[in-house]
Amino acid sequence: MKKTIVYTLSTCPWCRKTENFFTEHNIPFAYIDYDLADEATQKRISKEVDAAGATGFPFVKIGEEVIVGYQPERYSSALGI
Amino acid sequence: MSAMNWIYVMDDAALLEGHMTPIYPLGVNIVLARVGGVVYAVSGKCVHMACPLFTGKLNGYTITCPCHDWRFDVRTGKFLDAPELSLAVYPTKSEAGRVFVNLN
Amino acid sequence: MNIESRKKALRYFFEKVVGPLGFKFTPDAALVEFLLEQEVILEGKHGIPFCPCQPLRHDRTRDMQIVCPCIPFHRKHFDILKRCWCGLFVHKDVLDPAKLPQLSPKEVGIE
Ligand code: SF4
Ligand code: FES
Repeated sequence: MKKTIVYTLSTCPWCRKTENFFTEHNIPFAYIDYDLADEATQKRISKEVDAAGATGFPFVKIGEEVIVGYQPERYSSALGI
Repeated sequence: MSAMNWIYVMDDAALLEGHMTPIYPLGVNIVLARVGGVVYAVSGKCVHMACPLFTGKLNGYTITCPCHDWRFDVRTGKFLDAPELSLAVYPTKSEAGRVFVNLN
Repeated sequence: MNIESRKKALRYFFEKVVGPLGFKFTPDAALVEFLLEQEVILEGKHGIPFCPCQPLRHDRTRDMQIVCPCIPFHRKHFDILKRCWCGLFVHKDVLDPAKLPQLSPKEVGIE
């Protein structure tokens, strides 16, 4: 199974929905709440967000693929489920 | 517009070039700004969340709100990032060393 | 601070800002309640009602572009989506906000 990482904000409802999606589909995933993370982590994530041409969260990485925003269909197809 | 609408607000010499000052003629919250010698009057409350604009910055014709940096053109009242939003603009005139604002 | 009364105040301010830009509060009332509450909490923490769905960069110029309502600074993007990033605001003609996907600027062709 491809590795799934989700960058979230603790204040963002779409981030909750994204996490729920992976939980409901029994997809193991790691997540980091950006707003609760330390400065170095924030800087690193911030760079990734900029590089992806994104502005907001959730920010999902499934294997090599980056999916920005709550997009359940794209998560499914990236995971092949 | 009748002459009655002009309200004396301050002495001309009291407002220096590049400066702003709050005035409250008949209780209306207004900020006066002098740019290029001309005195402009716009609403003193930011259209975003009503912060007092006179405590912001004046740079050329641009007022920057102290709270979240929304910028307005002092001549037109327009918000620079979305012209649909603007501050009310009031006509001014200077006569015999006195500044008047028209509230209508 | 009373969260409910501050939510009311934000609603009052924001309504006047987003209307002339062609937006309204989303008809999804639960989402509005949730997001406004997050903004009140963020305001309590930072003194500013920042966006609950966009990251703070600790750079004033950038961070001031994610103060709610941030529509003026992301207008092209949000006009294409017909919603703001969080979905707190939608275009006035939107009746079913659940149909509006959350696509990044890049995905809709804005760099
Ligand atoms: S994305 Fe929406 S909720 Fe977030 S700051 Fe912008 S206008 Fe407000
Ligand atoms: S109150 Fe003026 S920019 Fe927010």
